[in-house]
Amino acid sequence: MSEQIEQAIARKYDAGFISDIESDTFPVGLDEDVVRRISAMKNEPEWMLEWRLQAFRSWQKMKEPKWAHLGYTEIDYQSISYYSAPKSMKDKPKSLDEVDPELLRTYEKLGIPLHEQEMLAGVAVDAVFDSVSVVTTFRAKLEEAGVIFCPISEAIQKYPELVKKYIGSVVPRTDNFFAALNSAVFTDGSFVYIPKGVRCPMELSTYFRINELNTGQFERTLIIAEEGSYVSYLEGCTAPQRDENQLHAAVVELVALDDSEIKYSTVQNWYPGDENGKGGIYNFVTKRGVAEKNAKISWTQVETGSAITWKYPSCILRGDNSVGEFYSVALTRGRQQADTGTKMIHLGKNTTSTIISKGISAGNSSNAYRGLVKMGPNADGARNFTECDSLLIGDKCAAHTFPYIESSNPSAIVEHEATTSKVSDEQLFLCQQRGLDTEKAVSMIVNGFCKEVFKELPMEFAVEAGKLLEISLEGSVG
Amino acid sequence: MLTIKDLHASVEDKVILKGLNLTVKPGEVHAIMGPNGAGKSTLGYVLSGRDGYEVDSGKIEFDGRDMLGMEVDERAQAGLFLAFQYPVEIPGVSNMEFMKESVNAVRKERGEDPMTAAEFLKVAKAACQQVNLPLEFLKRGVNEGFSGGEKKRNEIMQMILLEPKLCILDESDSGLDIDALKVVANGVNSQRDGKRSFIVVTHYQRLLDFIEPDFVHILADGKIVKSGGPELAKEVEASGYAWLGEHQEASA
Amino acid sequence: MSQWLAQVIDRASTVDDWLNGPRQQALATLKEQSWPTRRTEAWRYTSLHALENLALPAAVSEDVSAPVVAGLDSIDLLFVNGELRTDIGAIAWPEGVRVSALNAADASMRDAAQAVFNMVKPERHLFGLVNDVLATEGVVIDIAAGASIEQPIRIINLATAGVESHHRVLVRLGDEAKATVIEHGSGSGASMNTSFAEYAIGKKAVLEHYRFALHGGAVIHMGGSHFRLDEAAKMNSTLVGYGSEVSRIDVDIHHAGEHAFAKFNAIYLLAPKEHFDLHSNIEHAVPNGTTEENARGIVGDKARAVFNGRIHIHRDAQKTLAELNNRNLLLSRGGYIATKPELEIYADDVQCAHGATVAEIDEKSLYYLQTRGIERSQALVMLNFGFIQELVSQMPNRALADWLAPQLRARFEAMESR
Repeated sequence: MSEQIEQAIARKYDAGFISDIESDTFPVGLDEDVVRRISAMKNEPEWMLEWRLQAFRSWQKMKEPKWAHLGYTEIDYQSISYYSAPKSMKDKPKSLDEVDPELLRTYEKLGIPLHEQEMLAGVAVDAVFDSVSVVTTFRAKLEEAGVIFCPISEAIQKYPELVKKYIGSVVPRTDNFFAALNSAVFTDGSFVYIPKGVRCPMELSTYFRINELNTGQFERTLIIAEEGSYVSYLEGCTAPQRDENQLHAAVVELVALDDSEIKYSTVQNWYPGDENGKGGIYNFVTKRGVAEKNAKISWTQVETGSAITWKYPSCILRGDNSVGEFYSVALTRGRQQADTGTKMIHLGKNTTSTIISKGISAGNSSNAYRGLVKMGPNADGARNFTECDSLLIGDKCAAHTFPYIESSNPSAIVEHEATTSKVSDEQLFLCQQRGLDTEKAVSMIVNGFCKEVFKELPMEFAVEAGKLLEISLEGSVG
Repeated sequence: MLTIKDLHASVEDKVILKGLNLTVKPGEVHAIMGPNGAGKSTLGYVLSGRDGYEVDSGKIEFDGRDMLGMEVDERAQAGLFLAFQYPVEIPGVSNMEFMKESVNAVRKERGEDPMTAAEFLKVAKAACQQVNLPLEFLKRGVNEGFSGGEKKRNEIMQMILLEPKLCILDESDSGLDIDALKVVANGVNSQRDGKRSFIVVTHYQRLLDFIEPDFVHILADGKIVKSGGPELAKEVEASGYAWLGEHQEASA
Repeated sequence: MSQWLAQVIDRASTVDDWLNGPRQQALATLKEQSWPTRRTEAWRYTSLHALENLALPAAVSEDVSAPVVAGLDSIDLLFVNGELRTDIGAIAWPEGVRVSALNAADASMRDAAQAVFNMVKPERHLFGLVNDVLATEGVVIDIAAGASIEQPIRIINLATAGVESHHRVLVRLGDEAKATVIEHGSGSGASMNTSFAEYAIGKKAVLEHYRFALHGGAVIHMGGSHFRLDEAAKMNSTLVGYGSEVSRIDVDIHHAGEHAFAKFNAIYLLAPKEHFDLHSNIEHAVPNGTTEENARGIVGDKARAVFNGRIHIHRDAQKTLAELNNRNLLLSRGGYIATKPELEIYADDVQCAHGATVAEIDEKSLYYLQTRGIERSQALVMLNFGFIQELVSQMPNRALADWLAPQLRARFEAMESR
């Protein structure tokens, strides 16, 4: 029975094609000069270069963290190229017509048409290819509302005071090894600014694609929601099927000022490597948001890709009554390893957080939830509720739960629950007896298991997430 | 004793009681019957002051006092007793400790001295016997591992010990076999002294064979739609609640 | 490396007895250890600063006697700072029990001891290794197959001011044997002690176990109780801990045989400024095992409680049932709780769950108590203590439960009233 289940869960990686695009790629290796050259490529002001250099110097003194439940061959930081951009992007195309058609075809093949008229209405896209942003759609429409949505490299030029004020304010340069590395060598990423009281008129989304061989992707995203504003932001990621491991070390910072709300959704589908664990992306990501008074930050993630996932989208609930949410589905199969979860740091009074984590392990994979809920001494009346469920498919996988709970406030309430289960023969039998094949039955069961998380995704992404898990979402979304 | 005037109440923004009126005089037994979802249990919770049961408008006067704004424990100390349909289990808190604490809280409000452990043990034993519960139940955690019938009898025992002025029995008959039902009914009847009042909430007429009401009210869609004597319960027994549909249409 | 540990290694080289073989092994391992810091996962929340340059006051001779538990008909072995004060030979031991002081074991008791010493306790416990190399005092208990010992055996270890001591308990339960062992430690003067116990529980054998770590004040206490369950063996253990300057207890339960059953309850009740750290580790190495673990703690002002409860289901341990529940209450703003229940699962056909809460109060229970006229604040006190009392009530030995309950209540009320 379990063999059938495994077959059902196994699926081809659809995004594994390689685009034939001529690129300018730095030779492998990392030193101060590379940092300077990246900064120069982006024509950055002096302060930005200085910021990068300080990060680089700190990084050199730091050690790669080893505490996660992950096993992988050591990363050689000198064998990675830290910058790669399609040649055609050098002249900064002014409009979509000037963009290399091969690039556009790449996104089309991934199901992301970049021509506005073909796109889903209501979703603006920033497409990042290796180290550069290719195009950002619907910018004019967003500007009408005062919303800034552009590549971060452009924001550094156009809105230096905003970038200067907020970059590194949530994830400091020296926060951790990978964040320091990113701070030194980040290439592109999205910048979002929602003015006071504005409800962003459309969903914003960034689509990340790694194409070039031996290239790392180090994007940096900064979202600022001014008082009383609202934005929903989505990101998607894919990479070609290659035998070598590739490094992705991103930083995402969210600033949610008083009474604002940021909803951040991710569908991560980096190439996971083959069934024997060859190739695949090493995904080491630092994502964090600060929520001020009455603000809300909601992280939703569907993690199905990457050979290694190391990712803990977190909320610092600094303002009174602020709210943090984390909804996660992490599916590992083959030889994939995931160590993912969240941190909810309750500093303000009456802050609340909810954590719903669904881990599905199949094949020879390993899937760990790691989380921290911290109630500070002033977090009077704060509340957290955490639910971590693991589903094991087959007897060669592993599922782990490592929740850390720390409280120094007598009126703060923390509740954590974790369970583990399998797709039982009884469940399968029932489904089959009602005429469903194994594949459909497993899909249904897995889908039901993830329902609480899927309902948090924006509609367009819920569909994509469902496809990723190869499950029909019929009747479970919305 | 109790006057409810035009009571509107809601739970989680859902309006459940929609203008309920009821007057209970000392010594009277009122039965409240009605279909599922009519708001029967809500009435008990609202009268007890449970969190989350919001009174939107109307008046509740109990023993000459305005009940709204009183805490749950203050209402209990004032003499209001609610026997639960599904009493909660509280492991680790012994029945004995719990009852002694509550009896003394009520006595304090009445201006009486607290009972000593020995005095309390004596009355507790007597109450235990009256509802046919073995004495070891006093030592066990509150309702911990009790069967459905034992829980109901434990409720009645508490009622006997607390000597309330008004008792609300919330479907105290549900899930009971006929013998357990008789024990519960006898416990209640033993407390009828001409001064103590009762509101008996029930879906079926069965309990009313053993606890004879003075008045029967039919609660439907948050209101009392019909009141009468014991014969009304028999009518419900015979014809069910289906007729309510017509009634509501007629009144609409 | 701390000065204290360097000293331990020096002293260890002077220890020379019949356990030399395993002691030397342990010493070699100990030498490879680095002194834990806050970055050492197992010591993340417990600082060993107080031990690093330990300087105890001069020892004073204290008049000590075994704490009396009314109604407990036990065979008592009294140790003071690890030294045996009871004449084992003068005790009328029930049939099937053989008991010897560790340093007076004859050949056959040495065999029994060697079958247990370091055969149950995992190597990773730093202070377990310290105990391995320094504990020359202690007791070996060997219970014959099939013997059913009704009378509890109580091992009392009192710590007095100014003394560093290391104490070891080795218990072997033969197949289908049945026994009750109580490890009873107390003391509050500035002292340092390690106390480790190993239990090898034979097929279908049944162990009822208690560990009372009722220390306080300036005591530094590092201890462990470690259990290995053979096929269909059963254990029911209750641990009660007070905190002190530093108190750390490690409990390991290893399911080595199928169909074994382990129940482990832990209570910690920390008065102001006390520190208590409990790490439990359940290893399900084989299929069809069952574990139920409940740990509950109440933490007073400026006290720190640390709980880490790991359940490890090995690849082949199918059909395991394992549950862990940890509940905590913080009584004041200055207190601190760190809890981490962990599941590590490598088998799919298992039922495992854990839960942890801090300060969670069941609103339904609170409402119920209030409908009976009990004020909210008083109802909270009742519920708070009730959740400790619930575990006390589950102790199979009534005399021990009756002895503990009022003590715990008094301690709780003193904490609550602050």
